[in-house]
Amino acid sequence: MGDVFDKFKEYSVAEFFKKNRQMLGFSGKVRSLTTIVHEYITNSLDSCEEHGILPDIRVEIKELENGNLRTKVQDNGTGIPEKLIGKALGQMLAGTKFARYAQQRGQQGIGATGCTMYALLTTGKPIYVESRYKEAIVKCNLAIDFKSNSPVITNLVKEPNADGTGLVIEAEFSDVKYDSGAYGVYEYLRRTALANPHAQITLVEPGGNSVTFPRSDERIPPKPRDVLPHPLGITTHDLIDFSKRVNEGTLNQFLQDSFSRVSANKVSDIRALAPEINFGRKPKDLSWEEADKLVKVFKQVKWIAPATDSVVPIGKEQIEKAVKNILVPEFMAVTERSPKVFRGGIPFLVEAAIAYGGNSGHEKTEGGRAGDIMRFANRVPLLFDAGGCGITEAVKNIDWKRYGIKDFDNSAITVFINFTSVHVPYTGAGKQAISTDEEIMDEIRNAVQEAARLMQRYVGSVVREREREGKKKAVFRYIEQLSKDLGELSGTKSEELGKKLVEIVERKYANESNGENGNGEEKKEKLEEPEVPEE
Amino acid sequence: MLMAKKSEKTNIAEEAPRAVAHPFGDESKKPKDRAGDGVSTPVSRMELLGEKETLERLRNLGKKLADEVIRGEEPKFDLPLRSRSNIVYDEGMKFLRIGEKREERRFVSVGQAKKFMQTIAIANKAKKFISEDLHTSIRGLYYQLKFTLGEDIDEELFSEQSESNELIEDLEVALSVKREDFNLTTDRKGVVAGRLKIRDNFAGEETLIDGTKMGRSGWMVPSDVDNGMELVDVDAKYVLVVEKDALWQRLNEDQFWRKENCIIITPKGQASRGTRRLIRKLADKGLPVYAFTDCDAWGWYIYWTIKTGSMNLAYLGRNFAIPEMRFIGVTMKDIEDYAFLQKLTINAKEVDLKRAEEMLSYPWISTHKRWVEELKRVLKTKKKLEQDALQGQKLTFVGDYVRKKIGEGDLMP
Repeated sequence: MGDVFDKFKEYSVAEFFKKNRQMLGFSGKVRSLTTIVHEYITNSLDSCEEHGILPDIRVEIKELENGNLRTKVQDNGTGIPEKLIGKALGQMLAGTKFARYAQQRGQQGIGATGCTMYALLTTGKPIYVESRYKEAIVKCNLAIDFKSNSPVITNLVKEPNADGTGLVIEAEFSDVKYDSGAYGVYEYLRRTALANPHAQITLVEPGGNSVTFPRSDERIPPKPRDVLPHPLGITTHDLIDFSKRVNEGTLNQFLQDSFSRVSANKVSDIRALAPEINFGRKPKDLSWEEADKLVKVFKQVKWIAPATDSVVPIGKEQIEKAVKNILVPEFMAVTERSPKVFRGGIPFLVEAAIAYGGNSGHEKTEGGRAGDIMRFANRVPLLFDAGGCGITEAVKNIDWKRYGIKDFDNSAITVFINFTSVHVPYTGAGKQAISTDEEIMDEIRNAVQEAARLMQRYVGSVVREREREGKKKAVFRYIEQLSKDLGELSGTKSEELGKKLVEIVERKYANESNGENGNGEEKKEKLEEPEVPEE
Repeated sequence: MLMAKKSEKTNIAEEAPRAVAHPFGDESKKPKDRAGDGVSTPVSRMELLGEKETLERLRNLGKKLADEVIRGEEPKFDLPLRSRSNIVYDEGMKFLRIGEKREERRFVSVGQAKKFMQTIAIANKAKKFISEDLHTSIRGLYYQLKFTLGEDIDEELFSEQSESNELIEDLEVALSVKREDFNLTTDRKGVVAGRLKIRDNFAGEETLIDGTKMGRSGWMVPSDVDNGMELVDVDAKYVLVVEKDALWQRLNEDQFWRKENCIIITPKGQASRGTRRLIRKLADKGLPVYAFTDCDAWGWYIYWTIKTGSMNLAYLGRNFAIPEMRFIGVTMKDIEDYAFLQKLTINAKEVDLKRAEEMLSYPWISTHKRWVEELKRVLKTKKKLEQDALQGQKLTFVGDYVRKKIGEGDLMP
């Protein structure tokens, strides 16, 4: 990926954006729209949680006559104060997230400003913002002056706010497409709702069809504690990013202040391993090569592990409620596991759920249902790059037959995995796939297998019961006709034969369920005494 | 297929005694072997069941099952296994018959419930046909039983004729009753003429059929020659079975049956059940039976099917097979005896050669020296000969040929 921020200096923001839009999630028409919704939704959820508000989000997508799509995302967060509107939505790298290091949804930083840019680049039109912050409603249009990377606000209107707080952003895009399939907005929101049971999300599709994913749990997730990043959990890119923000002090000081578990002693260890680097320099003068070297050296030093309480999972109960609410499964199993560490000390936690039956899996075009793997990182659905993702690989490698799922790809089953960590080890710039590190894969596999074992017990008994009922029915349907013919043939009353036959069949399959064994029918046959010949 | 000694017994047979006894014939009544080649000739093992007996067997099956149900037991019956693994060549009786293995039909079983119900429906229908003295084809029966099982059941009693065909055979085997006895007819095929008289009670009227007064067309053999049919006057020396209708017409025009005091029958290819039964009945009257077919795969197959029975109808073997039947020709050896035939052979087809090889592997054929020689001759020359070739020089030579062969006893087993 190279040094994004160096390039920033060389190109105008707009040029940078045009050249790197795929890096920011704007590749392909369907994915672009999903990215837009993702950026807005993520901001909304973060804003609500930050202030203890139960999120209520509405996404509306309209198709305009010119073929463009107009999105309207509305939340009940705190809104944005007037003076920060421009910065939040019209200036690159000005988001609040860079200032903090904690388990977060978005780690892009380009966020909503990227959407503003995409709107401008594809339609030339500014976005419309309506912010209800405290006692004021601010309505305005917002564009970006690309040369100076600064927001341009027009048509600003201020009104007193009597209702609640919240933010509305409307924007028009070209080069986007609404799709109800696996990569589209609908699926993204459905999954977002699954991983955020405290949120209520409504989607109005271009045709006017409205879908609501209702809130299933009233508890707002606890705020993740701000933690300093652990040296083992950062990339060269992160290090450059942090160093650029620090104008004062030396590299030595910067390392001790900005990272957890870095003491003066540890800096000495690092210095010994990287003698070519001047630790007395200003941090922001750090070159890419030097940063790269430092990150490598970090891995050779013995560290105290980071605090694991920085990890905030969704919660077993919350997942159960959300899955019940949205997938309406016949059965589900959710794991509750403790945090593990990868790469020598980065804490992470895997939550796995398996839902079976109901709306689990997804409908196949040729009918029937197909197994689904739903991947999440810090509650954010990962829709793309499934192939190279450690989660997909771990789930696919499980021998599902052992758990009573004969054909995973053709079963009504959803495997839900949320990977929670301050540092999610994404494999690419698109941040849609997580690493296939052994430790991560092992933990995902263990979590899914734990859920699968729970499910197996259920599926086994349900399937047996269903088979038994099916067998009974299959025989029952012929009783009436047989009684009639047998009655006539033998000169016996058909009603009596019918009644007796019902009893016989009932008894037979009741015995079978009391489980001599699954194949009781065939085995029993051999045990019966042979009939004495009639003649 | 298996070769079975008379004493053959299987475990299955021991475990599952029969619910319905098999009316096997009395072997002490075997007449002497006429051909002198070691083939014994069983006398008719067919008992004419008659309506009463057939009805009785149907009712007994019903009563057995109904009793089981009333006692609270799962209704079931068993029958000889009809698969190829249970078809044996009976060395004593000299025909293909069904072996001793039996299988069970159960109602309380997902896989069998429907078939069980269908079988009983057929049995009940058969009972009605017999009681009302009405006949129909197996297709007619199928239509009688093609109705929906009930308003809330989206299923028909029978939806394909192939289903009912199979179960008719089940019932035949289970009760040792031919389908003809259930008043089920099959397509007629086969023509007879000659010195036989048959009394035919049909549709309330009695007719006397005289085989000598059938003109050029002969009498068409009905599908059932047992029920309502009686051979009243068989004044013939032998029965000649002629594969092809054309040759039969030749012999009929030549008044062959009158001159020879015999009966000529053509099955017109593969013999129908009715035709086979008629030949069997004539053989039961003590008449020798001779076969006259092409010298090719099809001809041999027709002969051996009539003689030893077929795999498909092995369960009917004892009622249909004619082990005492002898083969006249045509044969490849005839070329040596009749020079003009030499130029009238045609190339044998792949199927003829394959069939010849197969036949050499059948134990009941490979034990006959003349058949082995004949088949090897075909394999060597890769030629075959049609009966029609006998007309090559002189149309009426056909009769001379047959007469000479029978007269000289130049016959194959």
